[in-house]
Amino acid sequence: MTARLSRESTTVAPGRWQLLPMRFHRFDGDCILLTNLVGEHVFLPEKEFLAVVDGSCADQHVLAELRAKHLIQLPGERLPAELLAIKLRTRLRRLPDSTGLHMFVVTLRCEHTCRYCQVSRQSSAKSEYDMSQDAAQRSLELVFRSPSPHLKLEFQGGEPLLNFPLVKWIVAEAKRMNQAYGKRLAFVIATNLALLDDEVLEFCGREDVYLSTSLDGPADLHNGNRRRPGQDSWEQTVAGIRRIQDSLGPDRVSALMTTTEASLDRAHDIIDAYADLGLRRVFLRPISPYGFAIRRRGGGGYDVERWLEFYQAGLDYIIDLNRRGVPMVETYAAIIAKKMFTNDDPGYVDLTSPAGIGLGALVYNYDGDVYASDEGRMLAEMKDHTFRLGNVHTSSYEDIMLGEQLLQPLEQSLTLSAPMCSTCAFEPYCGADPVFHHATMNDFVGQKAMSAFCQRNMGVFTALFRRVRNDSFAKELFWNWAQQ
Amino acid sequence: MMKMSGRTRPDGLPGELDPDIWRVCGPDENPANLPLACLVSDQQAIPPGHQLYLTRDPDTHAPGALLRLPPELTHLAPGDIIGTSSDGRRVSVLWKSTATHNSLLLTEQCDNYCLMCSQPPKDRDDSWLFDRARQIVSLLPPSATSLGLTGGEPTLHADALISLLEHCRDTAPRVQLHLLSNGRRFADVGFARRYAQIDNADIMVGIPLYAPEPGLHDYIVQARGAFDETVHGILNLAALSQRVEIRIVIQRHTVPVLQDLAVFIASNLPFVDQVALMGLEMTGLARPNSAEVWIDPADYQPELTSAVRTLASAHITTRIYNHQLCVLNEQLWPYAVRSISDWKNDYLDLCQACSVREICGGIFTTSGSRLSRDLHAITTHSQQAAAPDSTLAAASVMPGRPVALAAEHTSAVG
Repeated sequence: MTARLSRESTTVAPGRWQLLPMRFHRFDGDCILLTNLVGEHVFLPEKEFLAVVDGSCADQHVLAELRAKHLIQLPGERLPAELLAIKLRTRLRRLPDSTGLHMFVVTLRCEHTCRYCQVSRQSSAKSEYDMSQDAAQRSLELVFRSPSPHLKLEFQGGEPLLNFPLVKWIVAEAKRMNQAYGKRLAFVIATNLALLDDEVLEFCGREDVYLSTSLDGPADLHNGNRRRPGQDSWEQTVAGIRRIQDSLGPDRVSALMTTTEASLDRAHDIIDAYADLGLRRVFLRPISPYGFAIRRRGGGGYDVERWLEFYQAGLDYIIDLNRRGVPMVETYAAIIAKKMFTNDDPGYVDLTSPAGIGLGALVYNYDGDVYASDEGRMLAEMKDHTFRLGNVHTSSYEDIMLGEQLLQPLEQSLTLSAPMCSTCAFEPYCGADPVFHHATMNDFVGQKAMSAFCQRNMGVFTALFRRVRNDSFAKELFWNWAQQ
Repeated sequence: MMKMSGRTRPDGLPGELDPDIWRVCGPDENPANLPLACLVSDQQAIPPGHQLYLTRDPDTHAPGALLRLPPELTHLAPGDIIGTSSDGRRVSVLWKSTATHNSLLLTEQCDNYCLMCSQPPKDRDDSWLFDRARQIVSLLPPSATSLGLTGGEPTLHADALISLLEHCRDTAPRVQLHLLSNGRRFADVGFARRYAQIDNADIMVGIPLYAPEPGLHDYIVQARGAFDETVHGILNLAALSQRVEIRIVIQRHTVPVLQDLAVFIASNLPFVDQVALMGLEMTGLARPNSAEVWIDPADYQPELTSAVRTLASAHITTRIYNHQLCVLNEQLWPYAVRSISDWKNDYLDLCQACSVREICGGIFTTSGSRLSRDLHAITTHSQQAAAPDSTLAAASVMPGRPVALAAEHTSAVG
């Protein structure tokens, strides 16, 4: 039987295609990374890329791949634009459901004196740094104004367990108020675990409260960064993690690390420390440029290049662990992978556009001040009140969410319009960080050519794409992380 | 392999047999108002009052018209539905109540002309097929749980299809329906809405998609613009909350794009209810086109594995049909469904020694001589350890061609 339609007649004739919105990035020599509006991507040799653009490409495999990824279409086709629109809508669908994360700084007091800490007060006897029940009540009233159907309340400090009675009161009150709202509530206590006791454990088990802690790696590194009387922060934290895992379950505690100069050569040790505790996620975070940390003695005296080396060493070690059958996820890569391989925006407040300030998170400080982000609160500790949106005692929800204090940085920093972001091939994976750029450049948008935020994230995107391109195991691993 | 038709010897026919479709019943069942053919034997008291009797015994006599069944039809049992020729000399089985899959052919017309079509389209008036389907649905035994509706392209006859689906909803509401369609008609929002408004309790449309872009898909289905309409159809069905299965027939052209197609589905159509990866059935157009479409399953295991992992990790229910376990990468066994229609299913001599034979799909008896070079008995495997999920198999839908056409395809594999 002969085909009625020949294969040739269904291929793309020379020069007959139209380019759909695409951005590109020169990548490792003559390789070009092409991305579309929603983060679908193709690698092409420069020669083919130019041929696609000037209409001379004759490689049907290339043209078919570009059609499948909605980077080109034939005249008159409707489907590619419709599918792109559906995918873009899907990515943005959570925008109207704003503010899922609400951070309560229930006290500034802390018994640790960490080198990189921006905010805590050692004077842990002074209750003037505690949040009052009245402030908590007013904060909760604002929390429940948020449209998001999921509300996560995170207790921050200082060390929130130093004001544990208020934590308990807020959890009970939030659940009581929620009977009228029907939201999905989640609670997390961000604690160094030194004060973990039976009462806290019992409470977290009974009330379904999760615990998040800081673990910087092995004992010497951790204790060098995180100082407390007795120099036993690591021992306390590790014992606390084990207690929670044993009594509440392995998924009830997670840990975050902060990278200091002393961490930079020790990516493997840090990851091993997590693996030894049965923790399956590591978040290889850079130090934030705020607070005490921006000064050299805070451990932040390293540049982006050094951090990227550290990040890649850690990432490769994690990939190898997985290759050997040890499951371990690097959280930052997983967040970006979700944007590379799905239409889901993970809603990570530091890497989303519009920015996560206010829309993704709100911070209720111990004194009733409301901040657009945790970093905004830290800037305030350095006397910069740019991201103070109001005070729970005097401001309405509308004052906070619709004031210029929030709208200006949001509107100015949108990546789809910001200079150098709007044309960047990595834009679908990146985000707007007006707080960082304000803190470092005194401008919500910033000059991206000199932005450490941009340099760091470009470095991470490049590192991830290089592995996607060259290592099929890593590609499948990132795909799987994206789907979690 | 089970025969689905045979010659019968009529006895005591008053004239032409009318009606021509019957449900087989036992001697205890009342004729009521249904056309029931009562299966009787020497050992039982034969109840009077039936319009038609069937028997396997040479010496039985009945108080009415009687058809004596040939040895190959002794599997007939109460609940089966049969068609009879007007002279009573031929019986074909239209519904086998013990079969896991029963399908009804609704038309042989189609607006696609797929290179590997197992049911080559014929452009002739076959509207009687819809009428017969309607009669069969009316006669479905209470034991019926699922029904496949295939073609051809059933949606070419929009009114007849909508009417049949309404009939299914009204007379057999508990029967799970699986409609095979190329999906193009659903690009018409008006038709998609009519379909959705029937509101069948449990219906899914199986729609083939062969490539992640129009060029290759349109070539495989031999219809320009088909990809565009098919994907639009899937989008419309999803927008109307209708259940959709995507079917990918694995053949020489689709193997190289299997992974890209999996990514395309995960990115663009992640809402589908399941993706079925189908082994090629070497019958119909696949035979004359075999040089172009045939590929030994042993030669595409890496591509299949990668596509299945891509889909499954994206939380898309993924199933593999029409594959023998001995050829399938063992990682894929949990996705394999024992799917080949009973009447098309057979085993080779070498299968006798196989330890997983009972959970294997077997081979298509219609697949001619194109068998994988990798077929072999698995003797080392514990059946318990790696058995494909039997609940998956039980919940599966029915691939392959309809039982109704069985008579034309009974030649066994050599």
